[in-house]
Amino acid sequence: MLSALLVLLGFFAGVLGALTGIGGGVLLTPILALHFGIPIRQAIGTSLVAVITTSAASSSVHLQRHTTDIRLGMTLELATSLGAAVTAYLVGYFNRNVLEGLFAGFLLYSSLTILLRRGKVKDEEPPPAGNNGEMVIPPYEPQRYPLGLGASLVAGGLSGLLGIGGGPIKVPVMFIFMDVPLMVATATSNFMIGVHCRGQRYCLLPRRGDILVEIAAPLAVGVFVGSLLGARLAPRIQTRYVVYLLVAIMLYLAVHLAVHLLTGGAAS
Amino acid sequence: MSQVRDPAFDRVVALVLRVGAFGCFFIMLAGLLIGLFVHGQIPGDIERAGVLLMLATPVVRVAVAAVLFLREKDWKYSAISLGVLAILLLGAVFGIGEH
Repeated sequence: MLSALLVLLGFFAGVLGALTGIGGGVLLTPILALHFGIPIRQAIGTSLVAVITTSAASSSVHLQRHTTDIRLGMTLELATSLGAAVTAYLVGYFNRNVLEGLFAGFLLYSSLTILLRRGKVKDEEPPPAGNNGEMVIPPYEPQRYPLGLGASLVAGGLSGLLGIGGGPIKVPVMFIFMDVPLMVATATSNFMIGVHCRGQRYCLLPRRGDILVEIAAPLAVGVFVGSLLGARLAPRIQTRYVVYLLVAIMLYLAVHLAVHLLTGGAAS
Repeated sequence: MSQVRDPAFDRVVALVLRVGAFGCFFIMLAGLLIGLFVHGQIPGDIERAGVLLMLATPVVRVAVAAVLFLREKDWKYSAISLGVLAILLLGAVFGIGEH
């Protein structure tokens, strides 16, 4: 049964996402498009719902640990929401091939940032919870706001277009260029997900059709449970192999998207 | 200043997100389970309500943060939050024309 399969798919994406800190959307969208024959635009809108559900849940955990910089997040949201507004308006002018090509590129870029971050800043990983949720954050002052805002504009634009969280862009920029601790950068990036006009427009026009509700519901349920479980497992699992698995899946999806693109998408 | 955090502020925003996420989860779960036994319009409408709740949650979060900043008399970040809210609403309204 299709719903059961989708719950399962969401579950695995949720577990992988929580273990590796990447949103599920980057996996769900291409899988929906390539293996479920859903047009890329609907696949994007549909997986967006699952992404927002998960990011809201995990963001509430980060907030309670006080690792989220709400002021920084809100400031950068000015740029992400503007970027998302512009591309959400333009999305009608992008055809399927452009969206698939951009998505394949984003998959490649994301796997690269995962591998690089893995190599460089392993020791910055937050300590597993247990010390009463109290985390010691070194004092910092975000630097180079113009650069951060510019990157957020791009991240927001891609979010509006591709329905992804944009973490692989926002986290490195906050961490490397704005001198924000990695823990805070991750939590804040997560906090910022969700303000896509593309999604919000659906509230005004529920039947307009970029979000396939009968697909989104089982996915969101699966992703939600999966990411809660993944967050529990994270301190106990050797994430190195999980990361390699994730990168392998992402590369496979990128290649598959490219092939799909070049062969004219016979499948859909 | 940016790293100064008010725990109560974090807690209120966290509550908004938690209510949205868990509410959405249970509504969608209910829709799926009801869909096993009932056919027709009802399960889809329940799931649609879940989707709407999810999409509304980030907007409510921005609005709540704006109110909290106003109560702290933090005018700069009140203005920023209201700006984000304005962009969201304008984007939603002006996006309607296309497709």
